[in-house]
Amino acid sequence: MRITFERRLRQPRWLSVAVPVGSVVFAFFLAGLVLLATGHNPLSTYRQLFDAAFLQTGSLTQTLISATPLAFTGLAAAAAFRMKLFNIGAEGQLYMGAIFGAAAGLYLGGTGSSSPFVIAAMVVTGCVGGTLWALIPGVLKAFFKTNEILTSLLLNYVAALVLTYLIFQSQSYWRETKGFNASVFPVGKQLPPSAVWPSWTIHIQGGVTVPLGAVLAVLAAVVLWVLYARTRFGFEARVLGDSERAARYAGVRVRRKILAVMALSGAIAGLGGASQVGDFAHSIDGDPNGLQKLGYGYTGIVIAALARYNPFAVVVVAFLIGGLENAGNTLQGVDFPAGLVGVIQGIILFSALGGEVLIRHRVRIVRTKKRAAAAGAEPAS
Amino acid sequence: MKRSRSVLVLLVTAGALALVFTSVTFGGTSKKAASPYKVALILVGPHNDGGWSQAHYAGMQYVQKMLGSKVQFTMKENIAPGAQFNQTVASLSSQGYKMIFGTSYGMITKAVAAKYPNILFEQATGTDLSKNLAEYFGRAEDTVFLSGMAAGAASKTGKIGYVVAFPIPEVIRHANAFALGAQLTHPGATVSLVWTNSWFDPTKEKKAAQSLVGAGADVLGQNVDSPAAGQYAESAKVPWVGYDSDSSKFAPKSWLTAATYNWGPYMLKRVKAAMAGTWKSGFYYGSLNDGFTGIAKYGPGVSAATKAKIATYMKKIENGSFYEFTGPLYDQTGKLRVKAGVKMQVLTGGANSLYGMNWLVKGVIGSAKG
Amino acid sequence: MNNSLLIVLIASGVAYGTPLLYAALGELLAERSGVLNLGVEGMMLVGAVMGFWTVQHVHANAGIALAAAVVVAGLVGAALSAIHAFLVITLRASQIVSGLALTIFAGAVGLSSYLGNDLNLSGAPATHTFSAVFPASMQRWPVIGPIVFGQNVLVYISWGCVVGIWLYLSRTRPGLNVRAVGESPAAADTMGINVTRYRYVHTLVGGAFAGVAGATITLAITPQWVDGITGGAGWIAIALVIFAFWRPELCLVGAYFFGALQALAPQLQARHISLGPTVLWTNALPYVMTIVVLVIVSSGTARSRLGAPAALGNPYAREER
Repeated sequence: MRITFERRLRQPRWLSVAVPVGSVVFAFFLAGLVLLATGHNPLSTYRQLFDAAFLQTGSLTQTLISATPLAFTGLAAAAAFRMKLFNIGAEGQLYMGAIFGAAAGLYLGGTGSSSPFVIAAMVVTGCVGGTLWALIPGVLKAFFKTNEILTSLLLNYVAALVLTYLIFQSQSYWRETKGFNASVFPVGKQLPPSAVWPSWTIHIQGGVTVPLGAVLAVLAAVVLWVLYARTRFGFEARVLGDSERAARYAGVRVRRKILAVMALSGAIAGLGGASQVGDFAHSIDGDPNGLQKLGYGYTGIVIAALARYNPFAVVVVAFLIGGLENAGNTLQGVDFPAGLVGVIQGIILFSALGGEVLIRHRVRIVRTKKRAAAAGAEPAS
Repeated sequence: MKRSRSVLVLLVTAGALALVFTSVTFGGTSKKAASPYKVALILVGPHNDGGWSQAHYAGMQYVQKMLGSKVQFTMKENIAPGAQFNQTVASLSSQGYKMIFGTSYGMITKAVAAKYPNILFEQATGTDLSKNLAEYFGRAEDTVFLSGMAAGAASKTGKIGYVVAFPIPEVIRHANAFALGAQLTHPGATVSLVWTNSWFDPTKEKKAAQSLVGAGADVLGQNVDSPAAGQYAESAKVPWVGYDSDSSKFAPKSWLTAATYNWGPYMLKRVKAAMAGTWKSGFYYGSLNDGFTGIAKYGPGVSAATKAKIATYMKKIENGSFYEFTGPLYDQTGKLRVKAGVKMQVLTGGANSLYGMNWLVKGVIGSAKG
Repeated sequence: MNNSLLIVLIASGVAYGTPLLYAALGELLAERSGVLNLGVEGMMLVGAVMGFWTVQHVHANAGIALAAAVVVAGLVGAALSAIHAFLVITLRASQIVSGLALTIFAGAVGLSSYLGNDLNLSGAPATHTFSAVFPASMQRWPVIGPIVFGQNVLVYISWGCVVGIWLYLSRTRPGLNVRAVGESPAAADTMGINVTRYRYVHTLVGGAFAGVAGATITLAITPQWVDGITGGAGWIAIALVIFAFWRPELCLVGAYFFGALQALAPQLQARHISLGPTVLWTNALPYVMTIVVLVIVSSGTARSRLGAPAALGNPYAREER
């Protein structure tokens, strides 16, 4: 008796939703076992998680703060991974977008330009910063066939070093040099008021603040979906992802596509960085224990994978994972297990990966009788 | 086939619903404790780092012990200043916390304090003040000076290594105090600096310690928060002065002493005032006299004569007859920076104030820029 | 002379490069069989924390406690890699996403932190540590003294591993088989080699090596536990394998080179060689250099002669052959 997998000819739609959902449920179940085994009460822990993520007053605002960067990096990953271009560099591209966006905000905001202009400039420069950083692995892949996984990953470390350098190891434009406080500890310059991104309040649950970045993330998701589902660019990208050879025969210019998709991916991540500065931090955070420890870029990859690279699903999943991260921060303390957030995210991803098998393959239990052909076996129900 | 598929869907949905349902109803209600006064302590590193954060945590435990059930303390660790800190404050606020101690520079800004006018904020090592924001720190330079005396006495060659974090006035004045103390017991001693650019990074600190000993230092000191340099010192059989708390268990033979912080009494005073409604903002700068700073117990390598000398100077500092940052003080280039008899003040005096000090004294080798 | 910057850097390179070497050797084995495992950082961290836990709780003499710790670290690493192996070999999931999931699951904000916290491992030094094996007098011999004789037993074992793996891959039947599996699993399958089994074994052994690499850090280099103590070493190890053209002897050179680069900045500071505005470059150098080498290695001719196992990253499905 053997279990074999047969590739499905068609991938049923409902499975594409049921499997990720089922994986999450299964993951919580497994993580619950881990909690039990280590002496924590899973039910009360999960209850606290839901409370802190979505139900308490002010929790949705905090969840949006966690979810906005995740949506950007998730979309960035989805844009690239869809084409089997494994851009692991969203983290570094986000930092670069933050640096470029902050520069625009500091400079233009200081010259008295109107706020919409400054913010638009920050959006554009944020995208540019991310794109430039992503084009390095892009060019190396397109022209030198260098594996983009490692190049984009290593550049994350370099970007982190640049970020720290700008604030802690130099008197750069981004660093606050005036004032007594500045000499006491290195901090970044605060954005002038015209460069601070707006937010809107929805009057539910005591007031939920929706930052501009969240709106932009949703817009980016729409653009990305249209691009991949309805344009030739997207079609070619998907073909290239499935089979490079087929794409070449179809006349797709592979090099250009690689560059374009990396640029797109980097732009989205860079916009996330600009949002970090414009929406939340209002200055560059060069502290190695600050922005660099939050791992937005890497979590984005998890989100993209779980969402099966569908841009709208990415936004939804980013919201949920943002809730999880927010809850992890809130609950962190002596009696809440540290590292639980990573454990749960990891198990969710494992389950989703495992479940993916069910989407692409049909499970067959084959009874091998002594000389009977395997073809006569009953299919699994 | 279709039937089994819908069964699968039903099972998955049922499972999901069951999970949400059970955890929401049976997970227990969140605690509704109204009477104890809720205070939060926010640490920049792990609560048992053997250094800075651990000392703050010990302070919290002291207050908890003294006030018992009247106060409910929570502790958040590994929170960096910035977005993460702001989120933590937001959630603490929604959970009804009335007082927050932030233990690293930059955590509580005026903006944050203004956003939560009903919470009392205490920020360690900072300078911003507002109606609900107070600052607290203390004369660690006095005790670092005393610990430097132990280092100077233990050194045979006069070459001392000092592992430091960021080139900011706080660290620079501690390095200067350390050097001045070492030069008291060992005239002509030099202190070499290696910057790690992190408050807490065992691997970097070990590498720094290794490089200092390799370049000739025969005693190690530090102004960073992990005992990694001490572990290296122990293996290299080099005497070691720690920082923040008693970390002698990491280096039983090498341990000399350390400048320690005793945050408890100040925290207790402030929590009591907050509970009584008499809390007022202010800038607190503790000292040996009120027990805010101290010296850790000595290791086997400190001679009786040194202990006596340190005790003498400690008394002198306490009764005000000695202050290590009294002129004449020369910088690394030999220029006179503080005239004879002039005492450096905490906040006033620009580059000649403790909080603005950006130059290193004579005998310290290394750059004040990192 | 032993105190010159060069000798000190090489000796430091050996010491700090040893965890990189172990992790790279493990990843090399997995990749030779065609399985890319990006979860090295996570496996190292869990190996580090559980190795540390063992040495704190095994009440025996130093030798036994340390040996037990290394074994536990290896087992834990293998157990974690088993998850990855099952997902990518049996269930044919994406190797990249699975590896990343493993890093998130086990990494600095995951299982390793969970265990370190629940088992109360921070705030105390390791009860026993690996220290130098040879007497101080031998360590003072010119040049080879600090470099060769100043190291702990884990370093010497790693040298044995390099030789062993080199012999295995080039001189033994199973070693040649695994290379076939990595180049063309279909061809290997036709020859009767059990592709699945080879991939499983090599991935698990790879995980064990990663666990031991983590234990090297918490038992020899910085004998304490803090979250994320490996500091990204796992990713450097992955790059190292490529840097070394998938050859064990070059892994050794590369690992020590990286170790030395990482020790460079503090050494320069202590010797008062000013870094000035170049501090950023010195810190970024290891990563930039790896990228440069990667580009060279991946370019046309180099790749065809010294390149990756051709089937690296692809699941093998017999039905689709």
